[in-house]
Amino acid sequence: AVGPKGIFRVIERSEQWSVGELEPEDFGAIRELSMNPIGDRIISAFFSPGKETVDFASFVRILAHFHPTETSRSRDGVQPEPANSRTRKLKFAFQLYDQDRDGKISREELLQVLRTMLEMQVTEEQLQSIAERAIQEADLDQDDAISFDEFRKVRGVDLIRDQIDNWEY
Amino acid sequence: MPSRTGSHSPAGTGKSLPERGLLLLMVLVLLEGSVLPLGAASSPDISHQKNVDNHKVEHEKNYTKKAFPVLDLDYHHIQTPFEISLWVLLASVMKLGFHMIPRLPGIVPESCLLITVGLLVGGLIKLAGEKVPPVLDSQLFFLCLLPPIILDAGYFLPIRPFMENLGTILMFAVVGTLWNAFFIGGLLYAVCQIQPANPSELHQLEILPCLLFGSIISAVDPVAVLAVFEEIHINELLHILVFGESLLNDAVTVVLYHLFEEYSAAGTVTVLDGFLGIISFLVVSLGGILVGAIYGILTAFTSRFTSHTRVIEPLFVFVYSYMAYLSAEMFHLSGIMALIACGAVMRPYVEANISHKSHTTIKYFLKMWSSVSETLIFIFLGVATVDGPHHWNWTFVTVTVILCLVSRVIGVVGLTCVINKFRIVKLTTKDQFIVAYGGMRGAIAFSLGFLLKKEQFPMREMFLTAIITVIFFTVFVQGMTIKPLVELLAVKKKQEAKRSINEEIHTQFLDHLLTGIEDICGHYGHHHWKDKLNRFNKKYVKKCLIAGERSKEPQLIAFYHKMEMKQAIDLVESGGGVNLPSAVPSTVSMQNIQPKKPPPAKPVEKALPKMTKGREEEIRQILRSNLQKTRQRLRSYNRHTLVADPYEDGFSELLIKKQKMIELEKKIQHMNNYLTVPAAPPDSPTMCRARLASGRGTDFKPAQQQRGNKISPDPQAYSSKPAADRVPTIQVDLASPQSPDSVNLMDEFRRADQQEEDQGLMMKPPSGQSGPNRPREEDRGREQQKMTRCLSDPGPSADEEEEDEPFLP
Repeated sequence: AVGPKGIFRVIERSEQWSVGELEPEDFGAIRELSMNPIGDRIISAFFSPGKETVDFASFVRILAHFHPTETSRSRDGVQPEPANSRTRKLKFAFQLYDQDRDGKISREELLQVLRTMLEMQVTEEQLQSIAERAIQEADLDQDDAISFDEFRKVRGVDLIRDQIDNWEY
Repeated sequence: MPSRTGSHSPAGTGKSLPERGLLLLMVLVLLEGSVLPLGAASSPDISHQKNVDNHKVEHEKNYTKKAFPVLDLDYHHIQTPFEISLWVLLASVMKLGFHMIPRLPGIVPESCLLITVGLLVGGLIKLAGEKVPPVLDSQLFFLCLLPPIILDAGYFLPIRPFMENLGTILMFAVVGTLWNAFFIGGLLYAVCQIQPANPSELHQLEILPCLLFGSIISAVDPVAVLAVFEEIHINELLHILVFGESLLNDAVTVVLYHLFEEYSAAGTVTVLDGFLGIISFLVVSLGGILVGAIYGILTAFTSRFTSHTRVIEPLFVFVYSYMAYLSAEMFHLSGIMALIACGAVMRPYVEANISHKSHTTIKYFLKMWSSVSETLIFIFLGVATVDGPHHWNWTFVTVTVILCLVSRVIGVVGLTCVINKFRIVKLTTKDQFIVAYGGMRGAIAFSLGFLLKKEQFPMREMFLTAIITVIFFTVFVQGMTIKPLVELLAVKKKQEAKRSINEEIHTQFLDHLLTGIEDICGHYGHHHWKDKLNRFNKKYVKKCLIAGERSKEPQLIAFYHKMEMKQAIDLVESGGGVNLPSAVPSTVSMQNIQPKKPPPAKPVEKALPKMTKGREEEIRQILRSNLQKTRQRLRSYNRHTLVADPYEDGFSELLIKKQKMIELEKKIQHMNNYLTVPAAPPDSPTMCRARLASGRGTDFKPAQQQRGNKISPDPQAYSSKPAADRVPTIQVDLASPQSPDSVNLMDEFRRADQQEEDQGLMMKPPSGQSGPNRPREEDRGREQQKMTRCLSDPGPSADEEEEDEPFLP
């Protein structure tokens, strides 16, 4: 779980911490993150749209998504859904795909994701074919995009749910 | 998990009585056959020997002429291979037989039936008065029967679940087995000592032999687990837990066995020995894995160069793996772990290098051998039961059985409490029950007991009897009841869903995500190291071990390629009457077969030589007709007309051609800047399909445009041609299904009128055109035929120069 240790490490890495806010460049200083194909997406996920910096509270809130799901906890309808519930985790992942936040993963967005993940090793046509196929498999209402519900229902995502439950950080 | 689905086809209910009778007869004959040679072995041998002696003696004295033996019985000559073959045949026929009996396979697991058969055969042999071949002695079992099963398991081991649960599996395998061994051994010793008033033979049992016995009996057996779990189809997690445990506990068993065996003569075990034992354990297990990995890499490296000799590719896989096993055994390392490591390490690289056929060969050979091995093992268990000298001691045996169960339950429950603290997905009580219940003992335990020397262990027979009882108990009782229990407890079953492309994408995406988050937190966790390993793999290892262009192929593409290939093969097999479901699949596959250099920029339009309109039309015709022709060929070969399976090689050619056509056509399009279509982009898949299909429209576009014809055709139009006075034309519309039969029929008509019937089934371009186009058609047709002759692959006979020669002379 993201305990105090994790947060302290982040603080260590960030010299700007005394200012109280983080900027994208600070994240960029993390070397491994720059090698990560979706590194910049992750970074941008921390920043709410329009804002240039993120403060500590929001930072922790985002990281809280990665706390292990406690399925045994009983939830009454009064409490807001906890940040680490399965749905919220899925939503977070979904938003990483859906950069323009319109609630759907369009073909273009999927293509972008594939492009960054496959890192220029494939041709455009291959990407198109893969994206086409992925959308065909997932798209139930034939609108040529994957909405959040379709995303959840995708056969593979069931199996990923176990992975999601395993998120430790 | 290798599922031997071949052996689980539903038993036919309509098997006739004569068939069954025949099968029974065959079985009986085989049984007799296996018994008789054993009897016949002795006598002809002796008499043959005597004959030879006599003959020699006589020969020296004087040469008496004997009649030339026309028919001679020389059993001795072929005895060993003959008997081996008979056993194998018996095993296989038994397997066949079980699945003919209607309801039996559902109730009784195969292993039980096989043991029963073994018992029967053993009984028969004993009745015949012959000596039972000591088939479960060390050589045959450990060197020949066990490796195929383990290799099959290792090669098809699902790596991802295995690695994810590795901690749990190791806990169960190492700590659990140790616990079992000491618990059983210790308590047995205690029990043996508790009757001071009535000193029985049990009192002679020292602590060390007890511990040795405990270590033999405590190991969960992979063969038995596989045999039973395969039929119950539980979910992947439980399966990999129990199965992984049965594989990894081999190291523990080996070390404990040798340790106690060595020192039971000495009588005492000191702390130093214990310490050495621990070190030995590490050496055995890690050494075994290392040996296996080395051989795995060797295999992968060798497979890089096999592109010219595809036929012997499977051989490398098998022989290298077997050598890994033997090398490990040579050093008394854990052969099982070596095999698993070898199979798991070599698989991703070998599969990228070898051909599809070799892959199939490997898969089926492994399944076949492991299946036969497993069958034989169980039969021999039965035989050895009948044979072995037994020493039944009620106390010992019952206490053993009870202790086995109890210790297993305690062990699993206790370990799970500890493990669950570290797991995110906890093991529930149901899971624990299945894991505990699934701990079966099998032939390995028996063989290890068999190996004990009688002089050192006077209680050997008692041990063997107890071991056999435990084995029978676990296989019969637990094996038979586990299936209903699984149903009763509603344990999650295996999901049959195939991996979809979405799953691949999302899994990779999530991996990257989690790695990124770990990097942010500065935590070097699970994902971080996995990512590092992947990068290392991609950068260095793949380049060494994978031949050619495939080394750069990202995993996603490989997966996609595989999926498309599978789908294409399915399409072909089903007669091709189905839509091409997705975007041009061949394009993607083709990229792999003919890899492009990876410039991310748009391909630069090369300046093609200027072509005349006529030439260009020609080329169009050629492209179209060839495409249609090959498509047509696909269609007519459906399940009923196809004899062999040509599509392994033919299909890739098909794809190559198709790809070339599409590319060429695209280039033409670009160059001449034709407005081909209203809506979709010119080279989009739908358009390609439509263009092929419609016949009208873009075919004769040039002609129409020459006249300033502004008709932009509806690409999806499917026009029926006025075929009044012409040769009937066939419109192949790829976008809509057409029954193969009707197409075939029309082809017949066409063929009767066509000259080039040896071209395969050729399509004349659809010609429902207006009059002015008609005269063009003739020479176009001729040119096209000329061209197609050059381009078509199984070369047409060169003497067919006369185009106007009627087909029927």
